[in-house]
Amino acid sequence: MNPRLLLFITFILLQTQAFAQASLHGKVLDEKGVPLPGANILIKGSYDGATSGQDGSYRFETSATGSQVLVFKFLGFKTQELAITLDQNSLEIQQIKLIEEITEMNSVTISAGAMEASDEKKSVVLRPLDIVTTSGAMGDIVGALQTLPGTSTVGNDGRLFVRGGDASEVGIYIDGLRVGNAYGSSTANVPTRTRFNPNIFKGTFFSTGGYSAEYGQALSSALSLNTKDHSLRTQGDVSIMSVGGGYSQTLANDKHSISLTANYFDLKPYQNLVKQDFDWERAPNGWDVELSAQQKLKKGGLVKVLARTEAGGMELWQTQPGENGRGMYVNLHNKYSYAQSNWRNSYDNGWSLFGGLSVSSNKDDLIIDATPIKRKNLLSHAKFTAIKDFSDRVSMKVGTEYFIHNYSEKLQLENEERSFDEQETYFFTEWDWYLSKKLVLRGGLRAGNSQLAEQSWVDPRLSLAYQVSKFGQVSLASGQFHQLPIENFRAIDPTIGNSKAKHLILNYLFQKDGLMFRAETFYKSYDELIRFEGNPSNPTGLRNAGAGYARGVDFFLRDRNSIKNTDYWISYSFVDSKRSYNQYETEVQPNFAPKHNFSLVVKHFIPTLKSQLGTTFSFNDGYTFTDPNESGEMNSKTKSYQSLSFSWSYLPRPNLIIHFAVQNVLGRENIFGYSYASNPNEQGVFESLPTGQPAPRFLFLGIFLTLSKDKTANNLNNL
Amino acid sequence: MKKYILTLAFSLVWIAFAQASDPAFIAAMQKQLKAKKTIANYEQSQEVTNGFLRIADASDSEWLPFYYAALLKTEAAFRFDIEKDKSLDEALELVKKADKIAPGNSEITALNGYILMGKISLDPAGRGQSMSPQAMQLFGKAINLDRENPRAVSLMSQMELGMAEFFGTGPEKACGMARMSLDLYKKEEAKITDEYLLPTWGKMQADQVASKCN
Repeated sequence: MNPRLLLFITFILLQTQAFAQASLHGKVLDEKGVPLPGANILIKGSYDGATSGQDGSYRFETSATGSQVLVFKFLGFKTQELAITLDQNSLEIQQIKLIEEITEMNSVTISAGAMEASDEKKSVVLRPLDIVTTSGAMGDIVGALQTLPGTSTVGNDGRLFVRGGDASEVGIYIDGLRVGNAYGSSTANVPTRTRFNPNIFKGTFFSTGGYSAEYGQALSSALSLNTKDHSLRTQGDVSIMSVGGGYSQTLANDKHSISLTANYFDLKPYQNLVKQDFDWERAPNGWDVELSAQQKLKKGGLVKVLARTEAGGMELWQTQPGENGRGMYVNLHNKYSYAQSNWRNSYDNGWSLFGGLSVSSNKDDLIIDATPIKRKNLLSHAKFTAIKDFSDRVSMKVGTEYFIHNYSEKLQLENEERSFDEQETYFFTEWDWYLSKKLVLRGGLRAGNSQLAEQSWVDPRLSLAYQVSKFGQVSLASGQFHQLPIENFRAIDPTIGNSKAKHLILNYLFQKDGLMFRAETFYKSYDELIRFEGNPSNPTGLRNAGAGYARGVDFFLRDRNSIKNTDYWISYSFVDSKRSYNQYETEVQPNFAPKHNFSLVVKHFIPTLKSQLGTTFSFNDGYTFTDPNESGEMNSKTKSYQSLSFSWSYLPRPNLIIHFAVQNVLGRENIFGYSYASNPNEQGVFESLPTGQPAPRFLFLGIFLTLSKDKTANNLNNL
Repeated sequence: MKKYILTLAFSLVWIAFAQASDPAFIAAMQKQLKAKKTIANYEQSQEVTNGFLRIADASDSEWLPFYYAALLKTEAAFRFDIEKDKSLDEALELVKKADKIAPGNSEITALNGYILMGKISLDPAGRGQSMSPQAMQLFGKAINLDRENPRAVSLMSQMELGMAEFFGTGPEKACGMARMSLDLYKKEEAKITDEYLLPTWGKMQADQVASKCN
């Protein structure tokens, strides 16, 4: 054949192809048969196609001939293909129903017992920024969480108390890895705070019950803090505060970032200026150094490192009821280190993997009433999880965890030492099953083994969520939870085993542009709680013999829209809780579980002043205590707790924040309980002393300056 | 005979190839770019977006179709009464696809920042603090990738103006950048021919910033 002829033929062919126009038409519907406008219909491999109109119909012409594939595409819907033969001028295509893909954004989420602080996800209760700007919290994560429903403020403790549970019943995690001694070491009635700076976290997941099988060893609650992924720019942050100061340097490029932070605090100068109710010998003081690094890997993974070491101390005198003089001398020195590294990656085939390792080391040197005590706690945690998304409807999570836990306490004078070495192993799996966009089921199992307690156990967890209206959803969560007793009890008797809790939670959530309303009711049963004779500092006859319950209802309303430049939230929680535990012989209402809890947080931004004003009011109806002058246990209740806080953040320049805050502006004398003399006086009365606050008010002034090439950077950008 | 068949096969392959890349691609893109100029409602915007996505489907080595689809999704969020966040999230997805085809492209990087600006505008109080630096970083990166990209400079000037207004500082920096971008737009205009497919939008926004400077 002549090549020229060939070219001519090809040319003719091409021309024919170009002129043979076939017309196609049809209709695109959604799952329910409703016309779907905006879908993209095209012939595979060509530019020919059309968009479906308001009535779902489409019509277009194509030059393609013969066997072709017609593709139906629409973002958020599953793509469908249809084989067609273009052999006539006009072709009617059968009706096509496109099925919507289920994504995190368009589907229901399980909100029972779950509260999130995040910038990315929906159903968030707080944003990371809220944690640092909530007045009264003084930059403490737990302080901000105490304004949420399901929590109680216990002002002489400072830790997180959830729904009638004690502070040890909250498990704290950073990037999924357990943190040992997450709160600063403190002594009785001196409130503590979280060791970690909220600025290093980008998101917080706080559960008040019924939580995922991924977490365990916490009877009431899981608090999961997620660190930032990758810093964006090189900058230095200076903080000068009324209680100390610090510097943080961040170095960053596209692939990795590293931050080194050092802080020092000392309350002494402040306490010299402002009269204190506590009799301090040496005001609380301490330093910390923290390193965090993030590295993006070539194949898309991310490796993070977080390491922190700190030391601090305090000395004070605690007056004793029925005694004269300064009372009992307490001296505390603490050294703490935490280090963790984790890796995660997601693959195109639907697998996501996570691996991590953490070590927490805490050392307390205590002198209580001339008795020196040394305490050491070392917790190591290794964890590996794999998630597989089988489809947009079914996903599976499996994981394994291993803990090594060493604890010792030593009475120096008597050279008496108590200790334990523990190893725990866990396996967990959790399955999410979307029956539709509106209905999701989640089932999980968590199996554990403790070498020391010689116990194995399995905890089932089950939850579901159903969307009832456009903006409203109902969800239900339930599960069983095990937790080993606190360290000092286990050191005395290593054979004591798990306490047990069961949760049932029903939640209603309504959210619509800047408005969120949440109502939740719950029932929690406790079993095999620790009981003993004597008092908590010297218990005898430890046994898993206590039981109890907590039930109640809570409400949360957050509104960021109705009032201009104003954001507020209101929480109310009712908790009815009783338990037989510790030294109590009957079921009592614990002193950390006030019945009525209320908080109101308001933030108002004034553009002309470049300022954000904030106020927080917290209230509860009082704490139970045992008055030995009356019969019975936990027979009395303190007056109500009330605290009004105020804060003012001023941004005079983009890289400068001045923050002023007052806790308990009105100076209300809150009382958290009473301590009683162990023996009655001559009149036969047990003398008492109230347990109060360190001072009526706490004032804070801080200046935060960011140094960077980009002059608009400030401390808050880290969030 | 064998030889001829081979030639035939080759020529057909060549024809098919040519059809997919140059003239047909250009024609298809031009058709959509022309339609893009007359968009008056969301339906039309969706039609043109889909048009670009069809081209993206057929020519999977080209970044421009994804780029324009993302730009349309972004503009739709600004112009029409739709689920704005959803539209911007889809735009981000499309930008990611464009970026995979042409990594380190200044236009794609600048558009990514523009979409973040849109996200910020929907919730300045909640997102501003965390997203503004991301957007600024993207604009900075886009400028570094191509110093002649007027959109990168113009968008950054808009961010600068917003900051200056908020903090009551002078708009000098924003004005300087706006003027710079206008010069770049002039240079760009000189390059535009009938077959020009690369982005040319954004001059009006630069003019707006410049109009606040005296």
